[in-house]
Amino acid sequence: MTATPTAPTAFLAPTGLTTDGLPLTTVDEERRAALVAGFPFPFPNPTYRYSTNVEPARGAVLTPAGQWGEVVVDVDVEYREELAQREQVLARDPSRYAVLPHMRVACWDAMLGLMRELAAAYPDDMELTLVEAGARPRYRWRNGLLGLEQEFTYGVEDTLPGEPLGWICSQVQEDVVLMDQRDGVLYGDAGVVTFAADWSFGFDVGMSFLEIHGPVPRLHAEGVITRAQQFLVRLQPGEVYRRTNWTLTIGRRLDVSTELYDEWGPDRESVQLLDDTAFGALVHLRVEVQHLVRLPESGAIMFLIRTYMLPLEEVARVEDWRVRAADVLAELPQDMADYKGIAKFRDRAAAWLRAAG
Amino acid sequence: MSPARISLVVTEVTELVPGVRGLALAATDGAPLPSYPPGAHLVLDVPAGDGRPRALANAYSLTGENVEPLEYRVSVLRCDPATGAAGGSAWVHALEVGDKVEAHPPRSLFAPVRHASRHLLVGAGIGITPLLSHLRSHARWGAEAELLYLCREGLGAHVEDLAALAGESVTVLHDRAAFTALLRERLRDQPLGTHLYTCGPTGFMDLVHLEAADAGWPAGRLHAEAFGTADLDPGEPFTVSVDGEELAVPAGVSLLEALEEAGHEVANLCRQGVCGECRVGVGPGSGPVLHRDLYLTDEDKAAGDCLMACVSRAEPTDDRPAHLEVIL
Amino acid sequence: MSPAPPAYTSVPVWTREPVVEEPDTAGLVHTVLQVGPDPAAAAVVADWCAVLAAAPPVRVLPHVCADAEEALRALAADLQDARVGHRVLVAGSARDCLAVRAAALRAGLTEEELTVGVTSVAVRDVWCVHCAATASAEVDLEGVVACPGCSRSLLVYPHVSRRSGAHLGFQVDAEQLPEPSGAAR
Repeated sequence: MTATPTAPTAFLAPTGLTTDGLPLTTVDEERRAALVAGFPFPFPNPTYRYSTNVEPARGAVLTPAGQWGEVVVDVDVEYREELAQREQVLARDPSRYAVLPHMRVACWDAMLGLMRELAAAYPDDMELTLVEAGARPRYRWRNGLLGLEQEFTYGVEDTLPGEPLGWICSQVQEDVVLMDQRDGVLYGDAGVVTFAADWSFGFDVGMSFLEIHGPVPRLHAEGVITRAQQFLVRLQPGEVYRRTNWTLTIGRRLDVSTELYDEWGPDRESVQLLDDTAFGALVHLRVEVQHLVRLPESGAIMFLIRTYMLPLEEVARVEDWRVRAADVLAELPQDMADYKGIAKFRDRAAAWLRAAG
Repeated sequence: MSPARISLVVTEVTELVPGVRGLALAATDGAPLPSYPPGAHLVLDVPAGDGRPRALANAYSLTGENVEPLEYRVSVLRCDPATGAAGGSAWVHALEVGDKVEAHPPRSLFAPVRHASRHLLVGAGIGITPLLSHLRSHARWGAEAELLYLCREGLGAHVEDLAALAGESVTVLHDRAAFTALLRERLRDQPLGTHLYTCGPTGFMDLVHLEAADAGWPAGRLHAEAFGTADLDPGEPFTVSVDGEELAVPAGVSLLEALEEAGHEVANLCRQGVCGECRVGVGPGSGPVLHRDLYLTDEDKAAGDCLMACVSRAEPTDDRPAHLEVIL
Repeated sequence: MSPAPPAYTSVPVWTREPVVEEPDTAGLVHTVLQVGPDPAAAAVVADWCAVLAAAPPVRVLPHVCADAEEALRALAADLQDARVGHRVLVAGSARDCLAVRAAALRAGLTEEELTVGVTSVAVRDVWCVHCAATASAEVDLEGVVACPGCSRSLLVYPHVSRRSGAHLGFQVDAEQLPEPSGAAR
């Protein structure tokens, strides 16, 4: 890793623009180092196009700054902070959490699946114990990070403090969408999505996989989504795949849902008026690591969306990332930049990165 | 992509009814086995020998507990090799407690539609096995279900298990005419929102579907268990010439695996014919290609100049063996 | 019809130009809904009923409804004790057909058990993502409509919910900077 002498920006002078007061990615050296080390840099190639870029999960990916990808459910330094943010978003807008009635089995399935992943990844803090096997298995769940301990019977709602999907989503940083499979089609029929990047889960719930991705240009013309669905409907129990997606977000703002477009939309104008220091501190490369899991009892697909963000000033401190991100942003076709909502400032972002060398 | 095999040991052998053997298989270390969707099947590796000219991969519906199971249970009807059966069931019927068995993890092609407001299960003979698994799950979740079971008197496996799970919602009949009459009646009295699942001999499933269509059921509400072995098909062996070198690709090994083994680097990702990464060029010295991917368009395939190495293979013609000339 | 942009996957073709689908004569019982007084819708229903009458023994339950609300009540009554084999046919505006489709799917009907006959596509329901109010107006896809709840100008996005039948609407000019607030700059 190549470190430039630039210090991370701690504080930005007021400008009178909408970007004033946006959360930054901190000066806390420990947190900053952890975020950089675990960052899933999303550009394997100097150009970016949509593709059905799925690969088997759990493989560690080494980066110049660290590694990512060994676990399906990732607990990092932001654990408590992001869980608190999820709680706030849900309190303000309950439509980010929906379970259609036929998804009850899938929600139990998802809860158990997420507990298994957590326990496998963090055996010191998380533990799922099968207390009794049989038609109604009994379990004990311990989440040491949150000080939770709960014994429950599979499929019996009364033995949990809340609805299973909602409860487990208060213990993971991932957004979760559960897709029901009927007649070879996947429907997004349940989920907790508080950190959406420019879409509305509340509006999309109940739609098919193809419909949810409807508005994305190129995806359909190039057959990417149809192939992805064909792949997903064949996914077998226990198989886990992953892919990444990315965009640019202004400020460390996890909730850039369509619901709040009127709040964050103006930042796309403001950011153009910022000086270089503020620009590099506020513009974040936002990466989603998405995991796709076939759940065993319900047959549903669990779609996990985990969001990572790093400001350009941090991206630029890793030389390979700086060069590659600049290349990708500069070359990205206009329609894709439009859809990602970055058309107004991606050229400056590319130039900023190039100049930071 | 074929996931790793699991090693199992036979822990129980029972004669359920004459000709049907129940088998319990546990992990060799006694740990819980992977959970699976109701209606899933287990593919057992049946070794060659004992009159079997080649190894077989036989699929059997799982009938036991599907969540965190301590054992996998299958019920296998003995089919006589003398009547053309390949010999897999005869091998199962010769297994003893303590025997080791290799299997693929459970595969699901016949799961219940959870969106259904009610489930009508219609089975015949040994075809009852995946429906038993469905019924267990419906009992767990309190879902409405009704089951019709046609079998010969005294030869119907799992009759007691079904009754214990669903009591009066289960009807067992031994007479085909009476069964057809009841089926006709029940098909016309299912609440909108019901889905139908059938498993049994092909002729039986065809009958059920015809009767359902007559009663106005649309295709989307009908589900039949047909063991989909196409995606497990190991394929036929073929040869490849690449960089002046000749490689043999045996059955069960993909072109991608063969190329990797010979030291060639081929970009790849999903290994299931979806992502498009492992596309390789095909030269004029090649025979026909058996495309098995989801990636290439019909035009790509018609052009005949490439294939997806992870799933696609060579096909023989009448006058020449299966062969590919691969350009990397 | 002009080809649909490939990204319009959630927008039924019959909301862009009138389309009359053929009835599914495999059904045994058919709820036939005419929504609104449009003679074109009455003609569609008459054609459907003629086709169904010529098919093997079927029962037709016809309803002439003044508006979508009345149609939803008739539909609910018919589906209350319906059996598999039931079909629903609806003739009227695209907006009314979307509303009936949403109710029918909620009641357990599948897409293949539903037939639509669309006679006009002018009016759309637009759901405001910011305040959850719904506008009903003559507007094209990617046109702009005022939200009756929060007065924002909403872009009519080509994205339609199968659960509500409404289009997604969001503030069309959200990226404009607010008027200077007088803060230091």
